[in-house]
Amino acid sequence: MSKVCFYFEVHQPFRLNRFSVFSIGEKLDPMENYFDWKLNREIFEKVARKCYLPTNHLLLKLIEKFDGSFRISFGITGVLMDYCDQFMPEVMDSFEELYDTGCVDLICETYYHSLSSLYDDLDEFEDQVRMHRDQLYGRFKHRPTVFRNTEAIYDNRIASKIEELGFGGIITEGAQKILGWRSPNYIYRPVGSDNLKVLLRNHLLSDDIAFRFSTGDWKEFPLTADKYASWLNKCEGDLVNVFIDYETFGEHQWRETGIFEFLGHLPGEFLKHPGAEFLTVSEAVERSQPVGEIDVPCAISWADMDRDVSTWLGNEMQMECFNELKEIGTLLRRGGNGDFMRIWRMLQTSDHLYYMSTKGLADGDVHRYFNPYSYPYEAFINYMNILQDLRKRI
Amino acid sequence: MKIAMVGWEYPPFKVGGLGTHCYGITRAFSEMGIQIDFYMPKHSSGGAKGSGSLRIIEIGATAISPYDRPYESRFDEDFYQAVNRYNRICANSVKGSYDVIHFHDWLTVQAGIALKYKLGKPMILTVHSTEYDRSGGICPNKWFIDIEREGMMHADRIIAVSHFTKRILIEKYGVPESKIRVIHNAVTPIGEGEKQRIVLFLGRLTIQKGPEFFLRAAKRVLEKESCLFVLAGSGEMLPRLIELALHLGIGRNVMFTGPLSEEEVRHIYRIASVYVLPSVSEPFGITALEAITAGTPVIVSKTAGVSEVLTHCLNVDFWDVDEMANKIIALLRYGPLRKTMMANAKREVEFFTWERTARKTLEVYREVI
Repeated sequence: MSKVCFYFEVHQPFRLNRFSVFSIGEKLDPMENYFDWKLNREIFEKVARKCYLPTNHLLLKLIEKFDGSFRISFGITGVLMDYCDQFMPEVMDSFEELYDTGCVDLICETYYHSLSSLYDDLDEFEDQVRMHRDQLYGRFKHRPTVFRNTEAIYDNRIASKIEELGFGGIITEGAQKILGWRSPNYIYRPVGSDNLKVLLRNHLLSDDIAFRFSTGDWKEFPLTADKYASWLNKCEGDLVNVFIDYETFGEHQWRETGIFEFLGHLPGEFLKHPGAEFLTVSEAVERSQPVGEIDVPCAISWADMDRDVSTWLGNEMQMECFNELKEIGTLLRRGGNGDFMRIWRMLQTSDHLYYMSTKGLADGDVHRYFNPYSYPYEAFINYMNILQDLRKRI
Repeated sequence: MKIAMVGWEYPPFKVGGLGTHCYGITRAFSEMGIQIDFYMPKHSSGGAKGSGSLRIIEIGATAISPYDRPYESRFDEDFYQAVNRYNRICANSVKGSYDVIHFHDWLTVQAGIALKYKLGKPMILTVHSTEYDRSGGICPNKWFIDIEREGMMHADRIIAVSHFTKRILIEKYGVPESKIRVIHNAVTPIGEGEKQRIVLFLGRLTIQKGPEFFLRAAKRVLEKESCLFVLAGSGEMLPRLIELALHLGIGRNVMFTGPLSEEEVRHIYRIASVYVLPSVSEPFGITALEAITAGTPVIVSKTAGVSEVLTHCLNVDFWDVDEMANKIIALLRYGPLRKTMMANAKREVEFFTWERTARKTLEVYREVI
């Protein structure tokens, strides 16, 4: 294998304030009272200092050093760009600087990192995709050709809507349940589609960096850039897609683990191999031809061991909130008060439902790491109280 | 192995978790075929029965309970003298060849120390609560603390019912960590009933258990929801609590049951929709597990040992009555919350059997024999 796509997902949710049942119907300012701006600012600034700024800086140096050969892609949610505007515009500047090198591709998503692709009709989903597309054009003058849904959620219906919206490619998880014996290291075509191409995440090679990098009892520990580059090179297929959360660098994997040294050496080590090439996702879509069809009637995602949507809709509390959110949307779209529309959309960010997951075992540990609540039940009470208040307002 | 265990209460007569615990592990021992003699004071109500290899031996009467305070006036004799007298009876009554002698809390600690040296056998002390818990941290009585500390110093092993209690033993009593073993309590399942809009408090009406916070939260809940608040149990705070309920203007929605029989306790668990354990300081809190086995979701004080072992419950600071009310209302209003919590909590609680507690207790015996 000589081609690899590196894609980083950049996102932070707007975390919520503690909102008691006694605040419901008190006509408090939703923007001020639903969201915990102090906490949001603290976390954003911390992640920016530990991850976004130093990693952007490193990537910029690497792009310059390899003079066009090191190419990467980013998915930056609308919410994250809002964060930058509000708290640290220099983070946005540094992403713009990266984009201006010409070696960086940008991927379109739903603006609010929402689960709107799972609603009964796709109007809201379409709106949020268009919003993010407009935002990418407004800021970067970039016209995205590849779409990646929230948490790589994918099914046939979503693929067909994305094709209708004019995208050439869509990203999802190379889950065994959709591939069977087939390899994720090729491009596929969604069932019933004419032109759309599917890029599949290679979860083993992605998680080697995202999760296993600093795991002391992993037999490959410590993971070095030359070892990893040799793995990439040895892969069978047309291309390897390594898609990971951007916060892996410096935040999930702390600086002390050596993650920045790893990243710093990786392009050089990989390009040593004859014919080795980095591609952006758009280039991958343009250059490769589909080798087969994938048929996904039930939604998959990149999350947890189940690789489905049970992380967000796995228990009754999550379903109740999801339905409540949809109903509020129906009321809003009928009435259309712009202020509340924005609030409703901020509440659609999938993280709010993620915090209510009661899944156990290995996944549970990952959930706790990202969770501002001690217990999923607290997350439900808080979120549901807010939805009840919002419903009363519209 | 033959064990002598000295307790104070044993169902059908019991006041607190100590009785439930002794019942649970002695029955489990008996089912494992382990010889155990359980010594306890003679109660007027009587009715405690042995089974299999478990013998119940009654040894004279005392009016004192491990939850009593010396300033209560219901004693005919001086409180301290009464305690000393009962311990002498106890020390003289335990006879036989045992491998281990096992005591519970302060009340029989003096007898325990005397017997340890008289019989030359290892002494185990289980701590179900300390003076710091029972006093709710308000003016703990030095006399109790001294007795407790002496018992802990002489005991060969101390069993704490939670890590919460273990920390108190280390920090307040200076017990070396190497002597302490944490063994969590367990529960005998109760079974579900037809739920009513009842929010339940069940425990002694003392400062330690936080009934006052429960009433103050009730006041807040009743501003938004209609339901019945039941305080099951008796205790020195009863008159004050009745007054408080009237003062808060919620008398019509609050019910004080007084002491309940075992069957009545099971019934009230079954029909309650929410169980609250608002203790100021709670070494364990078996009632939270009992409520769950009756299909009742629980709200537990963060200063309760049981919160170490329960994931599927709601936690509150006992003093934060607004948050307590918020969570009570959430449980009353949001069906999916109750359902998800209960489905997970029941599975979680299945793990806490008395057989498991008994097996872990046996391991402690084996360390010292």
